[in-house]
Amino acid sequence: MSRWVKFLLVLVFGIAAGMIYGWYVNPVEYIDIAPGSLREDYKTDFVLMTAEAYQVDQDLGIAVRRLAQLGDTPPVETVALAIAFALENQYAAADLALMQALGEAALTWNPGVELQTP
Amino acid sequence: MNKDKRGSWYLLTALILGVASGLVYAWVVEPVEYVDAPPSALRQDFKDQYRALIAVAYMYSGDLQRAEYRLAALQDADIIQTLAMQAQQALAEGRPETETRALGLLAVAVGQGPAPVAGSSATLPAPASQAAPSVTSTRMQTSPTLVESLEATGTPVSTLRTPQPPNTPLPTRSPTPSATPGAPFVLQSAAQTCNPNLERRLEVEILDAAGQPVPSVELVVTWPGGEEHFFTGLKPDMGLGYADFTMNSGVVYALMVAAGSQPVENLTPVECEADDESRFWGGWKLVFVQP
Repeated sequence: MSRWVKFLLVLVFGIAAGMIYGWYVNPVEYIDIAPGSLREDYKTDFVLMTAEAYQVDQDLGIAVRRLAQLGDTPPVETVALAIAFALENQYAAADLALMQALGEAALTWNPGVELQTP
Repeated sequence: MNKDKRGSWYLLTALILGVASGLVYAWVVEPVEYVDAPPSALRQDFKDQYRALIAVAYMYSGDLQRAEYRLAALQDADIIQTLAMQAQQALAEGRPETETRALGLLAVAVGQGPAPVAGSSATLPAPASQAAPSVTSTRMQTSPTLVESLEATGTPVSTLRTPQPPNTPLPTRSPTPSATPGAPFVLQSAAQTCNPNLERRLEVEILDAAGQPVPSVELVVTWPGGEEHFFTGLKPDMGLGYADFTMNSGVVYALMVAAGSQPVENLTPVECEADDESRFWGGWKLVFVQP
C-alpha cells in the first residue's frame, strides 16, 4: 500500500473520529436557547399561555410579539401549528377555543402598525 | 534510507489533520442543533418572559396546578423567591402593571399552596375517547378553522405529530382574594414598632371589608425628593396582605394606598431601647381596611 493511500486512510479515520467526538461524545451545548427551539409540546403550551394572557390584557401587539419569539413564521401560522398539535394530542376544548380566538384575532393583526413597547 | 528515517510521522500528521477537520466540522460547520429543548434551557431573559407569561396566563385561568406544572419546567431553585424577585424587578423597570400584579399574585398563590377549586367538572381532562368529539364540535362552531387554512397552504401538518406527554389539565377558576373595586381604604391603626430584627421597617397590612388580607395592592411611599411603589403579597410567608419598606433614619415619609386612601404622614424611624439598654431604630406598622 502506498504512503498516500495510508495517509488518506488515516486522514479519513481522523475526520470520522473527530466528528464522532464532536457530535456524540462532547457536542456543542446550547444553554441559552430561544423559545423557537423548544419542544413542540412546550411551543404549543407557549401559544396557549399567550392565548390566555391575551384574554387578560386584550393587547394583540403584545400577543404577536410573544408569538414572534417562537420563530419567523407569521403569528397566524404559529397559532395554527399549535392548534394542529393540540388537536392531535386531544387538548381540552376550552384550550383549543382560546387558541382559536387568538388565531382569529391574529388574522386581523396589521404588521405595518407601530407596536407599543411593553 | 531517507524513507526509513521518516518512519510513520506522516500517518500521525494525517491523524491530527483528520481529527482537527472532523472537530471543526462537528463543532463549527454543522454543530448539533437542539430543536426539542425544555424551557429550563432558555436564556435568562427568555426565562423571565416565560415566567411572566405563566403568571399572566394564571391570572386568566386561576389554575394553580397548571401554573406550577409550567413553572417546574423552568427548574428554578426557589420558585417563590424567583417570582417575588421578578415582580419587584418588573415594578422597578416599569413593566406593565398586569405583568407585575400577575407575578405577585402567582408568588402568593404558590407560597400558599393549592387553592380550593371553584368547580368540580372542569378539573380534569376528559378521557381521550370522550374529548375528541367535543373538540371537533367546538371547532365546527368556530370559524375560520386555522388548521384547514394551514393545510390549504401546503404546510405538512403531519410532520408536527410527535409523541409527547399528555396535555396539561383543563383550566379551573379558583377565587383569588382581591379588593372590592372602587372602595377606598382607610387607616385602621398606626403603631410604632420596636423589633431589632425589623429595624427602620415600615410595615403595611391591607385587609378587605371581611378582614381578609388582600395581595397585589399597590402602595406609594413618598419622601422629600423621592417616591417608591411597592405591593402587598410579595412576601407570602408574612401574609397575603403584607408589604414592607425600609426607611432611612432622619427622613420623614408619607404612605398611601394607590387605589385610594388618605396619606399617612410623618412616618420616620423611632428610637427604641432593648432589654440590655442598647438602642436601635424601630419602625411603624400601618393597617388599612376597606370600610
